[in-house]
Amino acid sequence: MGASRPEALVLSPSTEEGRRARRFPPWTAPALYLAPMVVLLALFTYWPLIHTVWLSVVKWSLVPGRPSVFVGADNFAAVVASPLFEAAAWNTALYLVASIPLKVILPIPIAVFLWSLGPRGHVYRTVLFLPTLISFVVVSVVVLWLLNPMGGHVPTLLRMVGIAMGNPLTDAHAAIWVVIGLSAWKVMGFHVLIYLAGLASIPRDNIEAMRIDGASDWQVLRDLIWPLLAPTTLFVLISTIIFTLQQTFTPIDILTEGGPQNGTTNLFYLVYQLAMRSFDVGQGAAGTVMLFAGLLVLIWAKFRLLDRRVEYDR
Amino acid sequence: MTAPLTLAPAWRVVGHAVVALLCLSVLVPMLVVFGTAFKPPNEVYQLQPWPSAPTLDNFAALLGEKRFGLYLWNSVATVTIRVVAQVVIALLAAYAFARWDFPFREPLFVLVLAGMMVPPQLTMIPLYMLMADLDWFDTWAALIIPHLAMPYATFLLRQHLMAIPKELYESARIDGAGSWRALWDIVVPNLGPALAAVCIVLSIDGWNEYFWPMLMSTEPSSRTVQIGLREFVEEDFGNYGVLMAGVTLASLPILGLFFAFQRHIVETFVSSGVKG
Repeated sequence: MGASRPEALVLSPSTEEGRRARRFPPWTAPALYLAPMVVLLALFTYWPLIHTVWLSVVKWSLVPGRPSVFVGADNFAAVVASPLFEAAAWNTALYLVASIPLKVILPIPIAVFLWSLGPRGHVYRTVLFLPTLISFVVVSVVVLWLLNPMGGHVPTLLRMVGIAMGNPLTDAHAAIWVVIGLSAWKVMGFHVLIYLAGLASIPRDNIEAMRIDGASDWQVLRDLIWPLLAPTTLFVLISTIIFTLQQTFTPIDILTEGGPQNGTTNLFYLVYQLAMRSFDVGQGAAGTVMLFAGLLVLIWAKFRLLDRRVEYDR
Repeated sequence: MTAPLTLAPAWRVVGHAVVALLCLSVLVPMLVVFGTAFKPPNEVYQLQPWPSAPTLDNFAALLGEKRFGLYLWNSVATVTIRVVAQVVIALLAAYAFARWDFPFREPLFVLVLAGMMVPPQLTMIPLYMLMADLDWFDTWAALIIPHLAMPYATFLLRQHLMAIPKELYESARIDGAGSWRALWDIVVPNLGPALAAVCIVLSIDGWNEYFWPMLMSTEPSSRTVQIGLREFVEEDFGNYGVLMAGVTLASLPILGLFFAFQRHIVETFVSSGVKG
């Protein structure tokens, strides 16, 4: 991988750096350039990471001076036993399962369609991308307003055609779908873009060749495009699984705060509530560690599967 | 450039219909929001999206009694400082990885990249406690400093740096330039589009951030635009006209930035998302 990389500096004594170099080892320069990034990562990413794991296995003492007591798996057990846990776990599964067709599969035909339009598809592409630029706060606020039974545009319009619609956000079963739909809408354009990038790398000659052999649209899609899109699809799939829980935090917090009756909470939101609302640091940390363990498995799966898939295609 | 694939007419119609519908789902709410922001209070509940007599009153109320100007200032200032710092730090690290060969370079690179994968949930508790210890609540420092390390930007910039031909470094050396001068005089001008794209992506992330600023803000004067909007909903939800003005102001800067630099952003998202 180093074919195009410049070799290590060979410093002539006539340059100022050359003179300095004779007193310092050659890795001084890169070390200095790297230092800010590494120090910041150590302080704000890696140290907190280790600290969280430690917090998950101790009973953290609020009294300064009194040491924290190692309690092993107690925090983990407490989290699982929490009345909110079951609802959060089920909802998490629903979030993930519902997100996959909406966020991973649905963008594919859209991307293929836009790809078939060529440059004329750019307008569509740009419009679809706009939700990526606005914040989840903005989207949540607007949804809150549009769905509001008093004066919101959606109930008003539906009433005009004779449908009386309650506020889905106050329905324990429907609320989660609002969040799911909202988050799918928001990432659609972004995922379409990622698939378009994947499609762009499909060699046209193969398509031409298949056409000459008399292949139909469907055959080209099934036998050439779909397999070649596999790495992209996998990438989007794993990204969706990893990010859905985080991304839905804002809509949940603004729209329902986990309710109604825990209808929208998920494991990430639960951890947030444990840590920040109940101030149960041990449980919050334990819940976080469990969540992270699950994510690690998925990340590991991504790289294993991705490598294997890519090998098949090459 | 012709299209790579032509679909049967039936599929084309379906395609246009579906995509057009999706686009409408994006554009219509935007139109409604934007229109309502300019509506006088008595028209806010009317279905027609545009006001019959546009007024700036909502914006005046927003900036006046709602103190949105302060929130905007917090957002603009913290995001600007943060993005500049993030890009510089990431660039320096990318430079180190791309230009030199030093012991432990590969493992260090992996370590830096792995930092990207640590989800915020995993660090939030100790970071929160750290902010409490440092008494950084409601400060710009809390919004800026913990987020300064952006391994993704380093990754992206390193890709571009490795594409710079050796000859450029050679000629710099011959001219007697040290690595610092070479970086700013030669490398950076060649990185233009990549740097711009990184800046814009980081700006979007920073401007739209919710979780961390929410944790860090305990009093109104320190709120960012997003938090201000959220508090508005808690405090005065019925005030739709002004609320929509707030939504508009919260979204316009990034939208504006996007349309100014459209090509760079799309290229960056696309090239970084998949090839890596």
